[in-house]
Amino acid sequence: DVLLGCHRSYRSRPTHGIGKFKYLLPKEVPKKRKEKVQMKEIDAGTEYHYGDVNIQMTSYDLCLVEHFAQYVHRLCNRLSIRVNESYAMPTKTNEVLFMEERGSKMQLDAVLTTHQRVVQIRGLSSTFAPILLEIIQSSQPEGVHLLMKQHTEADFKSRLKSRPELEELLAEMS
Amino acid sequence: AESMAPESVSPHVLCYFFPCSSWLPRRVPLRESHWQSSLLELRTSLPVRAQPKKKKKVDVKKEQAQKERMKKKLKKLEKAAPELIPIEDFITPLKYSESNRVRSLPGLSPEESERRVLLLKKWCLFKQKQDEAEKKAIKGLVESQQEALKELRLESEELYEAAIRRDEELFPFERDGPSYTPPLPGYDPPEGKCIDITKVYTQ
Repeated sequence: DVLLGCHRSYRSRPTHGIGKFKYLLPKEVPKKRKEKVQMKEIDAGTEYHYGDVNIQMTSYDLCLVEHFAQYVHRLCNRLSIRVNESYAMPTKTNEVLFMEERGSKMQLDAVLTTHQRVVQIRGLSSTFAPILLEIIQSSQPEGVHLLMKQHTEADFKSRLKSRPELEELLAEMS
Repeated sequence: AESMAPESVSPHVLCYFFPCSSWLPRRVPLRESHWQSSLLELRTSLPVRAQPKKKKKVDVKKEQAQKERMKKKLKKLEKAAPELIPIEDFITPLKYSESNRVRSLPGLSPEESERRVLLLKKWCLFKQKQDEAEKKAIKGLVESQQEALKELRLESEELYEAAIRRDEELFPFERDGPSYTPPLPGYDPPEGKCIDITKVYTQ
């Protein structure tokens, strides 16, 4: 009989754990599922501290803006300000044309790429905010444009791809 | 040929049928036979106000089917999660990884390498001093601010409360980076324009 023939090993017996082998095999890393891009809740902040604040740094120079973003991130870490996210906005490319001095033709001058990095912080206290602003401004490099504003849903939506089909259908339905 | 137009007339009626059109002057359209229901031309009838019922049913059904199809499509599209726009900065263009060309640098002399190491040390020291100065500045600012707030609290509680509150006009804050040289006086820039050629990604 199957039920009478089984030899169950009890925890007190020396045969406890006999037959186990999974601990000998190398650990399997669980399959990484593609994380759905969802908007995290925006903190509005109280009267004594600001909610989600975006520090946006824009420049034509990629290395400079990248290093400045790293510097700001490290500064916030050092000052124990919580950093929600530190991401890059999509690059914008501009073609600059200028009119020749003697002539009516537009000549291509250069193709400029604008890079933007964003460091999102939360819980900045109202007394410390001007100090942080002062420090960031004093170490702002040339050519880097700084913008600090509250985080909104529109800011998040600007990072996503546009879906013209969905919008068309929604317009048709309503 | 109106008078002689052959309608679906049974032959035995024809003997009674007497086309009166030949007697009367041709001005008023007359019914040639009792089978001819209207005075209009062949295969026509007076326009009827009410819409024939058959057409209505088919239309409504079609509309409903169309609406359901659209709703299904909408559900399917909404199910797909929104994607982030890929950032071109982080994608290395293929042309830099395909070619096999490797740079062969000339060897460094010991004096040169010594000079470089000493320069690196000097730079490290300079950066350390800079960082320490910054930390000291922050500490100084915070301390003086706390002292000022303490004094203010002793002065008046109301003002202290107002000072502690967050400033709504602080954000949004914008500032352009400093420039190497001040703007040239009387500089006349050439005319031109900027065209945005960013690639638009759609899902």
